[in-house]
Amino acid sequence: MDSLTYPFDLAAGWLQEHAILPALYALGLMNWEEVAYGWALFAVYGATQVVVTYAICLPLERWRPVERWPDSRAVTVDIFYTLLSRVGLLPLMTFVLFYRVQVFLTGWVTDNGWVPPTIERVFPFLLGQPVLTFAIYVVILDFSEYWRHRLSHLFDWWYSLHSLHHAQRQMTFWSDDRNHLLDDTIGFVWFMAVALLIGIPPMQFPLLVLLLRFVESLSHANVRLWFGWLGERLVVSPRFHRAHHGLMAAGLASVNYGGVLPWWDMLFRTADFGHDYVPTGDPSAEEVLATGSYAAQQAAGVRRMVRTVAGRGAEPAAQSDPV
Amino acid sequence: MFRRLSIVVLLAMLSSGAGAPSPAWAHGLVLVMNSGEASLSVVDMDTHREVRRIPVLREPHHWALTPDGRDLLVGDTAGNELLDLDPATFALRRRVPVADPYQLGFSPDGKFLTVNGNGRNQVDIYDAATLKLAKRFPLPRTPSHLAYAPDSSRVFVSLQDTDELAAIDLRTMAVAWVQKVGRVPAGVLWLNNRVLVALMNDEGFVVVDPATGRVERRVHTGAGAHQLFLSPDKKVLWVNNRVAGTTVALDSETFAEIRSYRITGGPDDIAFAPDGKLWITQRFARTVAVLDPASGGIETIAVGRQPHGIFLNPAATAATLSASN
Repeated sequence: MDSLTYPFDLAAGWLQEHAILPALYALGLMNWEEVAYGWALFAVYGATQVVVTYAICLPLERWRPVERWPDSRAVTVDIFYTLLSRVGLLPLMTFVLFYRVQVFLTGWVTDNGWVPPTIERVFPFLLGQPVLTFAIYVVILDFSEYWRHRLSHLFDWWYSLHSLHHAQRQMTFWSDDRNHLLDDTIGFVWFMAVALLIGIPPMQFPLLVLLLRFVESLSHANVRLWFGWLGERLVVSPRFHRAHHGLMAAGLASVNYGGVLPWWDMLFRTADFGHDYVPTGDPSAEEVLATGSYAAQQAAGVRRMVRTVAGRGAEPAAQSDPV
Repeated sequence: MFRRLSIVVLLAMLSSGAGAPSPAWAHGLVLVMNSGEASLSVVDMDTHREVRRIPVLREPHHWALTPDGRDLLVGDTAGNELLDLDPATFALRRRVPVADPYQLGFSPDGKFLTVNGNGRNQVDIYDAATLKLAKRFPLPRTPSHLAYAPDSSRVFVSLQDTDELAAIDLRTMAVAWVQKVGRVPAGVLWLNNRVLVALMNDEGFVVVDPATGRVERRVHTGAGAHQLFLSPDKKVLWVNNRVAGTTVALDSETFAEIRSYRITGGPDDIAFAPDGKLWITQRFARTVAVLDPASGGIETIAVGRQPHGIFLNPAATAATLSASN
């Protein structure tokens, strides 16, 4: 594993030593150096995610596209979302907030005579078994994400934020990260609550996180691709996830909520293994949510939520049937 | 039996800084705390190779040897536990739940263990014999490094995010004073009846009056001074400068610079080998640098991510490593 992670660590270390530390020193912010290194690692892995995803998904989209568009200007904003989410400010905030809250709360639990929960404490044989440990974390987290995602479609105020993700009619591998900031914030709090319950270490499994994020990006790709009868039931494919983004599935009665594993959809009867590659989008969303700039989309998301909470908003596609 | 005893004696000497260098001798094992990937690296001092990687829960940073030299405590900060290891074999003896153990150290009289809770803004004083919490001092913000007065009357703690140094009176169990000392204080060292504090956002360290906390003098070493170490013979003061990327040797009496060495990758903690070499963790390079001060030669050894604390046991060998690790 060392030889695989070494180049990333080397790049993050170089960034830290030659760019971040001098900048922090000049700005009088050296007390942020630990956090900054955490961000450097996130950013290096995030940038690699972007490059790897681009290198694999773009040829796939060119090879067997579901749709061809006269121009792809609407995709540009999704690229911005991706860079912001995987390389920019969001990883920094995630690292800072998550780490600080985790240290504070687990320390508080220890103070009160309890041992903070971690999977490895329950199953000590997992110490030194990073792949197996990570696999268990993935199953638990994906289960939790299934329910967060499903609830974001169930509550109309929440869906009014989440509709930004669904409004994209030109869905590509860049679309995975197009989310409203408030929706991302709720997702972060949700993740943190679960992470605190099971004691997730932020940077212990960076390569495996990279792999999972790739699966999530690929599932949004504009490509006619499925993994066969068995594969479709093991990992979320572009076809499976496309059904979730289908025009008729937008809103409160969608299908295929799973992020990486389709198991929860199968278990809770929300799976649709149909063979169609449906058009994507949210007919109830303002046009700006589909084609506006980043700022315009964020503002429109808030407007829609306020209208919904005030009872004046157009209901999202609540009456639509699952695809 | 005698082997164990010799290990205990040797460790006690090294931890107290009393061991005199013996130039042609460089056997033993080094334990490196890889804070960024939840593991400890064991490095063979003969071969300069990592011979074992010991998994821990989350984030090991620093260590403290018990006054009798029989137990090595490693603080797993985010794991909220102290790992009690056999210093000869690095076998895990027990896990002690402790909130946020970042920097830790036993008082010279062996009565107290001070644990800085870096993320929780607290300094905990434990009874060293029982590891029961004697008193907690909420000290915002970000208690970082610590040093004791030789008579164990006080412990001094740098508060990184408020530019302060705090003095805790261990006899009255009260905070004696908290004083501004400079920008982003980190390493703390007692030397010649004064407290030295390295300043991360400045170009050296300050000399502080331990009675009042007043800064008496500033000493230039290089940008981003982070940690201070006294050589085992107490003649040389070593300072790691994080931003400048240097390790500087100063005369411990006059603070005159003897020599500066280029150490890249964020030099952090130092362990002194009996052959006179310095083992320095390189926080952002995933390596440990072995510096020969006489020749200036530097060799690097690959370890885990973000190596921080480093413990050196010249009496241990690869054969003594615990099979259970």
